[in-house]
Amino acid sequence: MLLPKFDFHEPTTVAEACQIIAEYREKAGILAGGTDLLVAMKKKQISPQHLVSIGRIDELRKLDSSSGMLKIGACFTVADTAASEVIGKKWGALRAGARALGSPQIRNLATIGGNLVSASSAADLPGSLISYGARVVLTSTSKTRVVPLDQFFLGSRRTEIGYDEILTEIQIDEPPPYSGAGYISLGIRASQDIKIVNVASFITLDSSGKTIRNARIVLGCVGPTHLRAASAEKLLIGEGPSEAVFAKAAEAAIRDSAPRGARYSRASAGYKRAMVGELTRRTLGIAWKEALE
Amino acid sequence: MSQYNVIGTRAPRVDAPDKATGRAVFVDDMKMPGMLFGALLQSPYAHARIRGIDVSAAKRLPGVKAVVTAKEAGLVRFGVSPARYDETLFCSDKVRHVGDNVAAVAAVDLETAMEAVSLIKVDYEELPAVFTIEEALADGAPLVHEEYPRNICAEVHQEFGDVEAAFKECDLIKTSSLTSKLQNCAFLEPQACIAFYDHWGSLTLYTSTQTPHYVQRTVAMVLGLPVGKVRVVKPYTGGGFGAKASASHLELAACLLSMKAGKPVKMRFDREQVFWHGRSRHQFFHTMTTGVKKDGTILALKNECYLNGGAYCSFGIATVYYAGSLLGGPYKLPNMKYDGYRLYTNLPASGAQRGHGGVIARSCWEQQLDMIAEELGMDPIELRLKNVMTAGDVTCNDLNMSSLGMKEAIEVVRDASDWNNKKGKLPKGKGIGMACGFFVSGAGYPIYRSDTYHCTVVVKLAEDGGTAVVYTASAEIGQGSDTTFAMIAAEALGVPLEMVRVESGDTDFGVDLGAYSSRQTLMTGQATKEAAEDAKRQVLEVLSKELNIPVEDMDIKNGLVVFKNTKPDFTALRTRYQKEHRGWIDNPGAEEELSFREASRIAYLARGTIVGTGKYRPPELGGKFKGAAVGTSPAYGCSAQVAEVSVDEGTGKITVEKMVDAHDCGRAINRTSVEGQMQGSISMALGEALFEEVKFDDKGRILNADLAEYKIPTILDMPKVDARIVESNEPNGPFGAKEVGEGNIVPTIAAILNAVYDAIGVRIHELPLTPERVYLALQEYKNKSKTKS
Repeated sequence: MLLPKFDFHEPTTVAEACQIIAEYREKAGILAGGTDLLVAMKKKQISPQHLVSIGRIDELRKLDSSSGMLKIGACFTVADTAASEVIGKKWGALRAGARALGSPQIRNLATIGGNLVSASSAADLPGSLISYGARVVLTSTSKTRVVPLDQFFLGSRRTEIGYDEILTEIQIDEPPPYSGAGYISLGIRASQDIKIVNVASFITLDSSGKTIRNARIVLGCVGPTHLRAASAEKLLIGEGPSEAVFAKAAEAAIRDSAPRGARYSRASAGYKRAMVGELTRRTLGIAWKEALE
Repeated sequence: MSQYNVIGTRAPRVDAPDKATGRAVFVDDMKMPGMLFGALLQSPYAHARIRGIDVSAAKRLPGVKAVVTAKEAGLVRFGVSPARYDETLFCSDKVRHVGDNVAAVAAVDLETAMEAVSLIKVDYEELPAVFTIEEALADGAPLVHEEYPRNICAEVHQEFGDVEAAFKECDLIKTSSLTSKLQNCAFLEPQACIAFYDHWGSLTLYTSTQTPHYVQRTVAMVLGLPVGKVRVVKPYTGGGFGAKASASHLELAACLLSMKAGKPVKMRFDREQVFWHGRSRHQFFHTMTTGVKKDGTILALKNECYLNGGAYCSFGIATVYYAGSLLGGPYKLPNMKYDGYRLYTNLPASGAQRGHGGVIARSCWEQQLDMIAEELGMDPIELRLKNVMTAGDVTCNDLNMSSLGMKEAIEVVRDASDWNNKKGKLPKGKGIGMACGFFVSGAGYPIYRSDTYHCTVVVKLAEDGGTAVVYTASAEIGQGSDTTFAMIAAEALGVPLEMVRVESGDTDFGVDLGAYSSRQTLMTGQATKEAAEDAKRQVLEVLSKELNIPVEDMDIKNGLVVFKNTKPDFTALRTRYQKEHRGWIDNPGAEEELSFREASRIAYLARGTIVGTGKYRPPELGGKFKGAAVGTSPAYGCSAQVAEVSVDEGTGKITVEKMVDAHDCGRAINRTSVEGQMQGSISMALGEALFEEVKFDDKGRILNADLAEYKIPTILDMPKVDARIVESNEPNGPFGAKEVGEGNIVPTIAAILNAVYDAIGVRIHELPLTPERVYLALQEYKNKSKTKS
C-alpha cells in the first residue's frame, strides 16, 4: 500500500501550526504519531493534500503536574504515559489504558492527543480520561477554548474540533480524596489488539469510606462514542460500596450500553453487553480498592 | 559422549549474524538496473463473467511498459496436482473469487503501475456465488468450475478392515465433531519476486518461495520455455508454512511482463493480497465415530470430512487425503473408514499449511479419545499408552513406522508435567490436557508423478583445500535448513562446521523438491551426507595412492586425517603443500597432524576440482489402493504435548500457561533448531486454537485481511514451553534424523481443547476458542444444568 501524495509541513510552534491549518482548512491533516492517520491514508480512507506535523513542537510534548492539575501536551506519547510515575500514582486507570494500547512500537509513536482526536470508541485512553473528568484545550489562530472530554466526541470519527483548531493539551484535575478508578479493556489476545469492550470506572467515597459520593462509568466499543453509564452512576451515588451494589450497577450499565451487534463486529451484541456488566463490576472493584488506600 | 563432533550440538545458525543485524537480503531489498515495477488487477467480485477488458487507457499512460491479460498470457492450465490443473495465469471467461487475477501492468514505478491498473476497464457480469459447503452442495447451486458437478473438487472413500463389523465388537461407540475456520499462514514476508528475461532467452526469477523446483517447472510450462532456460533463485525468505509451496500468479505475471518489456520486473503482494492468494489451511468439518473395548482397546474409526476448498484446487487433493490417512497412527487401529469431500466455493483457494490436512482431524479425534477415556473411567494417558504403536508397526493404511518414540514422548510429558498430581486435581478454572500426533518426514512421492530424484546435492572442495561448499537447490525459509546441511556435510566430511559454506535455493545447483512436507532434513540431508562422503572418499583415494595406505585404514575427523594403524611419514606431502602455499602465514607446523586442508589440496593437484555428488529418492512406499501415496514417507516424527490452561469464566478468556512438549525427531542435528521448531509450531497452533479466523462479508470479501484483525499470537500470548527432545535414531534418516517442523503442531490444539474441558467441564466443538465462544458455551452449560436440577 502506498501513501497518496501530499505536501508536508513541519512547524515548530503552535502559532505557526495554527496558521498553516487556518490556511488549508479541510485540506490539511494533522500528523502527531501517525499510527492512525498514516494507516487511514494508505487505505485511501482519507487523502489530505497537506500534512502538518506537530511532532516537533516542544510545548506539545510536556507533562506538567506542578499546579496539582495534570496538564499533558497533545504529543506526549502513550509509552511515556505508561511509564510516567506521577500518572501511575494518581491516575492509575489512565496508565492501565496506556499499557493496554497496541505494541511497544506503536506506544512509542502514538500520542495521547492522537488517541483522542481519532475518536474511536475502541480507543484505550478516552475511557479513563472521561472518568477522571478530563478536559481538552482546542487552539486556533483566533482563540483557545476548553471542552470537557465527555462533550468532545460527537460520533464515530467525529469530534468537536474545528478545521482551524488543534488539540493542544489535556487537563485533568487531581482526584478528590477517597477516590479511585479502574480500567479494563478486554481483547482476544494479550497485546496489540483492538478490543471487544473497554470500561473505566471512577468513584469518590465520603471520608468514612461507607458512602459513594460520586461515580463515573465510561463504556467503550458499545456505541459510536464512549458512553457514560448514566443510570449505573445514578444507582451508585449515595449507596455504600459493596460487591452486591456493584453487581446492580453492572446490570444498569448493561442497559446503558448500545452495542450495534453488526454481523461483522468483533463480537456479538449479546456478548458485548455481558462483558459491559462483567467489566463494570470488576473496574468498580479496582476503584473501590484504590479509594480505600 | 556423542559419537559425533558436529551433529547434536547447539551450533549457532549460519544465517544468524546477517539476520540479527538486518543485513540478510530478501527479494524486496534487491534492485536491478532498469528494473520496472508490476501490479496486478484483481477481481472485486466473488463470481462474475468477464464480458470484456479494455486496456487502452492503461497502455496510454506515460511510464507504462507492458500490459498483459489472458490474451497475452494464453490459457495454459496449471495448478499443484496435475490431476487438477484448474488455473490459468489470468482469468479469461470468469473470475471465481475476490482477488482472482485478471491483468497485470509493468511500469517505471509502482505508483504508475497501480494507476495503470486502475485504468483497466473490465466489463463484469456478476454471477450468483457459493461460499459455504451447504451452498456449494445445494441442488441447482451455481458451479465454480463447469466441469465439476455439485462443486465437488475431490472426494475420497477408503475403508481398511471392516468398520461396521468391528463396531459390533465394541463396548463403547462415541461420535463427535469438530469445525475449524479458514486460516492464513501469516508469514512475516509477503510474497515478492523479480523476473528478468535476458537477450539470450534465459529467464531468471528471484522469488520468495518454499519450492524453487516446482516454481521453475510451472513457469516453464505456463510460459512455454524449456526448463533449462528458467532459473529460479530464492534469496532469504521470511517464512512460508505452505502458502509459498507452489508457483503463484505473482511470479508468473512478473515473468510474462519481463518477457514483454525486456527488462527486470519486480512485483510483490501487500498483506491484503497475501490473504486473497490464500493457499493456507482449509476450513474442515470433521465428524468421527470411534469404537473401543471396555479395556480401552481401539477397534475402529469412522471419519467423515468436508473441506471448504475455495475457488481452485491448489494442494487440495493431498489435503483431503491427508485428513483421513494421518489418523492411521500413532495408535494401533485395525479398522478405519474415511469419506472426504473437498468443495469448490467462491472464496480464495485453500492449500497446505503446517501439519497439512492432519491438524484438525487430529484435534477432533484426540478430543474424542479423551471423551472415551472419561466414559471408560480411564486416565487419558493410560488410554493412549494402551494403544500406542512402536517402531516397526505398520498402520492399517500401510504407513511404516520405521522408528517411533511415541511411547517415550508420552512418558516424558506425563512425568515432566507432573500429570498424575494435576489431572483432575486442579482448582476450578484451571485445567490440564494432553494429546499426541505424528507427521511425515517428507512426502513419499513428488507432487507430479515422476521417478525424479527428490534432491541432488553437490559438495565441492575449494582448490586451497580449506573450504567445502555445499550446493543444494533446497529452500532455507527461516527454518534453519542451511545450518542443518552445513552440519551434516561437516560431520560426513569430518571437518569443523566453520569449514563448510552452504549455497542453496537456486535451481542451477541441482534438483530439490523444496521445503514442504517436512522433507528437507531427511531427504536433502541424505543427499548432502552422500555428497560429502563422496568428496571425502575421493580425497582419501588420492591420499591412499600418495602414502600407499588402504583407504579403509584412514578417516577424516575434526579436520584432521586419522590413521587407523601407524602414522606414516607425510613430510613429502606437507612440503609440497607448503610450497603451494608459500607466503601464507597459516601453514601447518612440523609437529601437527596431517590436515584435511593439506589432503584436499593434494587431491585437487592430482584430480582437479574435487566434486562429490549425492542424491536421494525414497524407495517405493505404501499400499496399492487409490490415494495410497498420500501419507507415505520414509519416516514419521511424533509428538506428545500437555497443555495447562486457565479459563476466566467471567469473560471466557483462555490463557495457555504452559506446554510440556516432547518430540521424536529421530536424532537432533541441531538441538537449538529443533527446540525452535517446537516453540514455533506451538505458537502457530495456539493462534489457530484461540484466535485465528479469516472472516468474509456476504459478498465474499475478506473483512480482516491484515495482521491487526487477523490475530496471530504475540510473544505475550506464548505459554512457557518445556521442550523435550526424544531421539529414536531413524534408520532411513541422515545420522538417524527425521522431521520436527510439522509433527509438533499436530497435537497442540487437542491438548488445549482437553485442558479447557478439564478446567470448565464443557466440551467445545468449534474453533477458535475465542472468549465469546467459550463464554457462550459456559452459559449454555449453566442453563442446561439449571433446567436439569
